[in-house]
Amino acid sequence: MRIPILKLNNYLLISIQTEIDDQTAIQFQEDLLDEIYKTESSGVVIDLTSVDIIDSFIAKVLGDVVTMSDLMGAKVVLTGIQPAVAMTLIDLGINMKNVPTALDLEQGLLKLHKELGV
Amino acid sequence: METKFKRIVLENSDAIVQMWMDNVRNLKDENYTTNIGDELYESTNREFMNVIFTSIQSQGSMEEVEQFSEKIINLGWPLSYITDGLQVFRRVTVDYILSNLDDMDDTEQIKSVFQSVDDWVEPIIRKLVNEYTGNWEQIVSLQRVALQELSAPLIPVMDRITIMPLIGTIDTERAKLIMENLLQGTINHNSEVVLIDITGVPVVDTMVAHHIIQAAEAVHLIGAKCILVGIRPEIAQTIVNLGIDLSDFSTKSSLKKGFMSALEITNRKIVPLEGKSREEQIKNIIDSI
Repeated sequence: MRIPILKLNNYLLISIQTEIDDQTAIQFQEDLLDEIYKTESSGVVIDLTSVDIIDSFIAKVLGDVVTMSDLMGAKVVLTGIQPAVAMTLIDLGINMKNVPTALDLEQGLLKLHKELGV
Repeated sequence: METKFKRIVLENSDAIVQMWMDNVRNLKDENYTTNIGDELYESTNREFMNVIFTSIQSQGSMEEVEQFSEKIINLGWPLSYITDGLQVFRRVTVDYILSNLDDMDDTEQIKSVFQSVDDWVEPIIRKLVNEYTGNWEQIVSLQRVALQELSAPLIPVMDRITIMPLIGTIDTERAKLIMENLLQGTINHNSEVVLIDITGVPVVDTMVAHHIIQAAEAVHLIGAKCILVGIRPEIAQTIVNLGIDLSDFSTKSSLKKGFMSALEITNRKIVPLEGKSREEQIKNIIDSI
């Protein structure tokens, strides 16, 4: 199972709509970094609206992806994290302090726009 | 045998009441009921005695007891008045019956005196204590409901800005409710900035701070920004003295300041309707004099 990565102008859009297992997450990390390299994108939005469960491993991978993309010069915003997911993450002690977040895709794009200063 | 004791007690009720009164009067000085007027105290005592004797006479009828307990509860008298009173009654009655018996050496008889006095007093104690605890439980559950209602309102003051005023002590249960309301509300109102106002929280200890930090982090995760407002001087001192690190959150002393920075974050500002501000108008008036 691979997660589709869509290119829009110089942004990449990812909407995760399935339950993510560890394998998928690692695969996604590699795919996204490849794609950033290939398309020279400057911004990435990862939308998690339809994700009901995020465990500590997935959270770690997501956090890593953000740092890695940052290293490659692409800003990442996570959007649409559900309240239940947020509460579980906080209970697990994961606060993703350094990860930019936004309510939905629209605001995520706006945030990227602002941060990139376009 | 028991009817014999009962007869002794009922026939000499005046003497027993007198003994009881003397004992209870001593109790009054050393505890709870000192601020109750003597007259009311006396009349209630008499009523209490009447209730006990009626109950003994009618083989444990509880109607009178119920009415009396209701009255006492409404007056707000402590439960210890009732339990102490009944203990004294038990002691006094046993003493009295024993002193009226001819054969003092018959242990069986003494035992049955204790037994029957216990049988009279026990149901009354049980009934009264049940009435009291029932009353307390009812009060507690009512207050719990009232607290739930006040617990965690979320006010969307304007587009993309929401305020949650917190009033009263925060415990774990309430913190959970606050977090749920906060997150769901943030998504429902599509807010970009959420202000948590803790002006009404009397004490911020490590636990409360922990809950607030968790809430703020969760708000960050779902993609909004959380500003903690209403930090009073004493709360600022406690927070620092407890070594709680709030440096990752924006905090403001008042809701007004917080609202201003929320406007700034959402890229807006307040402008006066007319061209001139109040200060300028006042300056103009002063100049024209």
